[in-house]
Amino acid sequence: MTKMKKTSQICQSKLPDNTALKQQQLPAYRLQLSATGVLSGFFATGAFCLGVGIILILSAKSIKEIEIKYTKICANCAELREDAINFDKECTCSIPFYLSETMQGNVYLYYKLYGFYQNLYRYILSRSNSQLVGTDLKDVGNCAPFSKSHNGTPIAPCGAIANSIFNDTIILSYNLNSSIHMEVPMLRSGITWWTDKYVKFRNPSAINLSSAFTGTAKPPYWSKPVYELDLEDTENNGFLNDDFIVWMRTAAFPTFKKLYRRLNRVQYFIEGLPAGNYSFNITYNFPVTRFKGEKSVVLSTLTWSGGSSLFLGLAYTVTGAVTWLAAFSMMAIHLMLKEKRTLFIERFETERDRA
Amino acid sequence: MGCQHSLQGSDASKVRTIYLNEPIRNNFCKNSISTAKYSIWSFLPRYLCLQFSKAANAFFLFITILQQIPDVSPTGKYTTLLPLMIILTVSGIKEIVEDYKRHMADRLVNTKNTIVFRENEWKVIMWKEVKVGDIVKASNGQFLPADMVLISSSEPEATCYVATSNLDGETNLKIRQALLETAEMQTEQLSSLSGKIECEGPNRHFNTFIGTLYLNGKSPVAVGPDQVLLRGTQLKNTRWILGIVVYTGSETKFMQNSIQLPLKRSTVEKVTNVQILVLFLLLLAMSLVSCVGAILWKEGHGGDIWYIGTKGYSSHSLGFDILVFIILYHNLIPISLLVTLEIVKYIQALFINWDEDMHYEGNNVYAMARTSNLNEELGQVKYLFSDKTGTLTCNIMTLKKCTIAGIIYGNLSSRSDTILDNLSASPSAITESGGFNDPTLLQNFENGHPTRDYIKEFLTLLCVCHTVVPERDGGNTTYQASSPDEAALVKGIKKLGFVFTTRTPSSVTINAMGENFTFEILNILEFSSNRKRMSVIVRTPTGKLRLYCKGADTVIYERLSDDSLFVKETLTHLEYFAKEGLRTLCIAYTDLTEKQYQQWLMEYKKASTVIQDRRQSLEECYDHIEKEFLLLGATAIEDHLQARVPETITALLNANIKIWVLTGDKQETAINIAYSCKLLSAKMPCIRLNSNSLEATQQAVNQNCQDLGILLGEENDLALIIDGETLKYAFHPEVKRSFVNLALSCRAVLCCRLSPLQKAEIVDVVKKHVGAITLAIGDGANDVGMIQMAHVGVGISGNEGMQATNNSDFAIAQFSYLEKLLLVHGAWNYFRVTKCILYCFYKNVVLYVIELWFAFVNGFSGQIIFERWCIGLYNVIFTSLPPLTLGIFEQCCSEKSLLRCPQLYRISQAGKIFNTKVFWFQCINALVHSFILFWLPMKMLEHDMVLQGGYTTDYLFLGNFIYTYVVVTVCLKAGLDTLSWNKFNHLAIWGSIIIWLVFFAIYSFLWPTIPVAPEMTGQVSVVLVCPYFWLGFFIVPIVCLILNLLWTSIRNTCNGTLLEEVRKMERGRVQELHLPTAFEKSVKTEHLQLPLSSQLHKVVFQDESVDRSAPRGYAFSQLEQGVITQEELIRSYDATKIKTSKSL
Repeated sequence: MTKMKKTSQICQSKLPDNTALKQQQLPAYRLQLSATGVLSGFFATGAFCLGVGIILILSAKSIKEIEIKYTKICANCAELREDAINFDKECTCSIPFYLSETMQGNVYLYYKLYGFYQNLYRYILSRSNSQLVGTDLKDVGNCAPFSKSHNGTPIAPCGAIANSIFNDTIILSYNLNSSIHMEVPMLRSGITWWTDKYVKFRNPSAINLSSAFTGTAKPPYWSKPVYELDLEDTENNGFLNDDFIVWMRTAAFPTFKKLYRRLNRVQYFIEGLPAGNYSFNITYNFPVTRFKGEKSVVLSTLTWSGGSSLFLGLAYTVTGAVTWLAAFSMMAIHLMLKEKRTLFIERFETERDRA
Repeated sequence: MGCQHSLQGSDASKVRTIYLNEPIRNNFCKNSISTAKYSIWSFLPRYLCLQFSKAANAFFLFITILQQIPDVSPTGKYTTLLPLMIILTVSGIKEIVEDYKRHMADRLVNTKNTIVFRENEWKVIMWKEVKVGDIVKASNGQFLPADMVLISSSEPEATCYVATSNLDGETNLKIRQALLETAEMQTEQLSSLSGKIECEGPNRHFNTFIGTLYLNGKSPVAVGPDQVLLRGTQLKNTRWILGIVVYTGSETKFMQNSIQLPLKRSTVEKVTNVQILVLFLLLLAMSLVSCVGAILWKEGHGGDIWYIGTKGYSSHSLGFDILVFIILYHNLIPISLLVTLEIVKYIQALFINWDEDMHYEGNNVYAMARTSNLNEELGQVKYLFSDKTGTLTCNIMTLKKCTIAGIIYGNLSSRSDTILDNLSASPSAITESGGFNDPTLLQNFENGHPTRDYIKEFLTLLCVCHTVVPERDGGNTTYQASSPDEAALVKGIKKLGFVFTTRTPSSVTINAMGENFTFEILNILEFSSNRKRMSVIVRTPTGKLRLYCKGADTVIYERLSDDSLFVKETLTHLEYFAKEGLRTLCIAYTDLTEKQYQQWLMEYKKASTVIQDRRQSLEECYDHIEKEFLLLGATAIEDHLQARVPETITALLNANIKIWVLTGDKQETAINIAYSCKLLSAKMPCIRLNSNSLEATQQAVNQNCQDLGILLGEENDLALIIDGETLKYAFHPEVKRSFVNLALSCRAVLCCRLSPLQKAEIVDVVKKHVGAITLAIGDGANDVGMIQMAHVGVGISGNEGMQATNNSDFAIAQFSYLEKLLLVHGAWNYFRVTKCILYCFYKNVVLYVIELWFAFVNGFSGQIIFERWCIGLYNVIFTSLPPLTLGIFEQCCSEKSLLRCPQLYRISQAGKIFNTKVFWFQCINALVHSFILFWLPMKMLEHDMVLQGGYTTDYLFLGNFIYTYVVVTVCLKAGLDTLSWNKFNHLAIWGSIIIWLVFFAIYSFLWPTIPVAPEMTGQVSVVLVCPYFWLGFFIVPIVCLILNLLWTSIRNTCNGTLLEEVRKMERGRVQELHLPTAFEKSVKTEHLQLPLSSQLHKVVFQDESVDRSAPRGYAFSQLEQGVITQEELIRSYDATKIKTSKSL
């Protein structure tokens, strides 16, 4: 990209080491940026970018992804959730869909929220990390406005983030034929960052979980206390609940996905999700229409680079193309000028001669 | 320090009384001095006060305070405090180091020893223990510890000599004389001494002192400046003196004069301050935009954001929001800029101090940057004001050539080159080797050449006709002269065998080729600048009466008798000497008859008793006898230029620096020097302005302006010569404008006979009129005004006078070092400082504007995208090194090229690299970069599925992506800006990236062991394994920088500047000393760009002030109108008498 040239240091050999520094005679490379110097660099960069870009696009294309927005499909449930009074009324919703191609390999189930600002300053602020690490359940200082219940007991887990946890249940069932509906086996573990599960989130130590949380209240929007999130699996209960942990990593954008389940590749599903009829059975709890948001479920496979986004591949390709374009035009300019251009020096000479 | 109160009340009217031998009653200031800024106790409050008076620091203090308001700060409470503390600590350490040096210097002075008379015996004490009223004994060569009144001395008539060069820069010795009443006092009488001295309060005037000595039992006597010995002066040619201390410590006149330098700030600094203000406005604008955004967002989304809690969001007022956003964006103003610049400039100053090329081995003096504020100002100098004596010249004069009876001697062509080469090695060698050395003169004398008698008469005249005093010191005879010209002549002919040996009040003895002759001195017809000549009337050993005269060609030639020979030849020779820049004197004599002389003597006696205008009537009387001269020849004295002065001046002229010589010396002398240092050339027309009325001055100036016509305002190959008297009129408000225009149209300007105040005034006028950077260089106390007035003041150090050095911004030992100081250090420092500043702005805008872009997706809630400490440490750790290396090591091209091609200086001189346009360009560039740096990663991560295992990410994951890309981009941008990469640049650029990654790695594992940064937990282990991260790591900086790279390369290719070509040639040169010939040509042709005289020849100057005639080069300097006249001085001197040896 740039051509560097070592300049000779005449006096340097004669002088002691620190003198070169003191006399500002340190050996140095002179960076020379001119058309000839950068051309080869431009071409190389362009070629590399084009190559990487094409690979990225191809691998993104190989991904199977399916997304179903269910706010409108389950409009009656959505309407019910508009009013907080109906919080204890259950509402379910089934969404059938057809998978035309097999989804090979690992399949991941995400839920996706539109227009939910998990990146609001006061929202992100409203949590207590020292509570979540299990050291101090009473530390609810930053959790306003969800720090204490009406009677003054500290909420655990406190704060707006925990309080607003995504509480829909999504069950995927495979309709082998019109009569046999089987639930696709899904894993609810292994969906969090390792450090979250084993470092950042810890249950307070006690004989059993419910006694550990005595003296705390459940978050107001929750239907059950934190120590009853998963009664079957103690490793997935309390603060260690995977769904809870995933939710607590607040997303960067108002539209975001969160990993919900991953496919347990057993029996029929050892290759992935076979093509066929499926349906999502959703217990609709999470209100989104109140803030004009939407919800969807996403099923996707993954490749080495990640999801099905074409953006990075396109970015690479465009950059490569633009770089080549720039290189060609620079070469053209250079060649054109090479004939016309006389050195500064010569220009002066001719001027002088004319005079 | 200890006597601040008395300093303030130091008006002259305040009388102090000093009681002799009663130490208890004398209660004044201590003699210890302190030039340090801080003491241990005052350091913290004073330092903090100083720091927070800077707008930027005060701003950050304000932000820190704001952050303490609960809930208002999105970046935590201490994230600004810590960097601010780091920065204050760093610059505090610098202050301490500098102040420690001052303390050490003070201690050195304060602990010097001196001898005082206490409790009836002589005691050795330290300077700081000296008190007012003490009687101090000082011996030859010692510096005096305080201001005192002379009581007695070892010399006859209780005189003593002091060197005052430390105070006023004058190199001649001053005579002080004790009062008659105390002259005989010695140790025995001291203890019985009683009485008091009343004198005026401390003041800063060197040449005044009003006091009265009341000795018990005697009538009071007045004490004046002739009895006062000042601190800082050195005792010379006197074995011992006794003095009563009257002023001590900071009340001495020396200390009263060492006022604090006016704080000079460089243009770059001023521009930077404005730019910081602009950034502040930008910050306010961004905060307002965000507030408006927040309101709009709430309108659009604010219906029911149930997840934030009902009272959570809309409760805060607009004012609160503004504070949040100001804190959010406050880092836009580069917190580290000031301290980075301080460090950079400090090291740049060290480079100047270390430079071996500016090390004068003669007296082992290195260049010294006394302030580091103005380093980059050195690269922008447009006008150079130089003193002459001691700056361009080395104050050494030698007889170089002479013409006797129409034959020129001493015309050996190779002489001066070899001398100049030796010059830097040992200055003393000049006087020995460089003198007059032409064997043909002696040969002609000895071999009976037809002109033998003339030669003899010529040399005899030089030996007799002068006011020099010989001092015999063992076997050697040294000459004391108030005129350096005369000393040069006497020394010069001494080598030829004509030795001036003895002076008695009435006679002069010389040794001519081994024979002694004694001439009776009858009269001395003194020199004055009006008369331009001096004569002596002597009775020769043969008893004849003869008048010897030496003086200017004009005055001698109009008094020549018709019989005089060699008139024409001598005149040609004079012109030749003048062209060489030598100072010429014509030598003539006339024989007098007894009668003539007696007649004149009567006249003389009458004239010397006239009360009114005695001087004038004496001069008229002298004129009557100085006639009918017979011409012998002329002498040519070289006023030695310092080494490489002509070369330096040529280089500086090529660098488009205008040189003005401002001197207190005479016009003739100044012109001579201007010729010899190639500032003037013989074919250059000179406009001489010498008038003594406002009208005449105005008329001459206007006429010249008219003659120049359209050339006015451009640079012409013209010289303007003006004297101080005329300048007074030229600076009259009516004339000033056209005069300055005229002066600015000339290539060289010589101003002569200026008072120190006028020097400063000229600098001030030019500074205001052209708005360009001015530099003043000088060595004496009379240059202090202009040194302080100019943007950059340079003092010539190493000579005895310290006044100029102490008031300067840079001190160098030789004028020629100015070339390297300006062309190399100045240009480099300008490039460095400006690049460093622009880069600091750039990197801050890049990172912190990203917060604004993020605000667009987070509903303008004030959420930060990065971890709070990463934001705070960005400036002080992760990107602190590249601006430092850029500011310390950057080289636009090599030192050799800069010296070889002074035209390169014009780049920095014109300030093309740093102005508002460049600043905005850089800001927009930074905005574009920050947008790319936010938008690309945002788009990359928008899809959320980037991790193996399908894990989803959070906002900080995006933040860490962006932060890493910012650090990489910003460091590489520093690399692109760096034109010269040495190992430190590599270390800084790659090191910074690595430091961030390492910090990132460690920082992600602190929680919960150390209770910081819970949100960073585990980030590194997901970020670094994410393929998207590394793909972005490559593409994002490339997308940002390829634009810059493209822009720079196309500009360099299409639009080859001189700098680019020089750099290209440097690159092409392999282990080669000589640049290609093409390069040399480019230098020459650039030089030809200067408008040459061809144009000018068309101009017809109508004013008679324009002088195109050849110069003759007369110059002679002699102290005039002193307290003691020259005649009195030599009449009182008797070398045959042995000095009365008084001892204690």
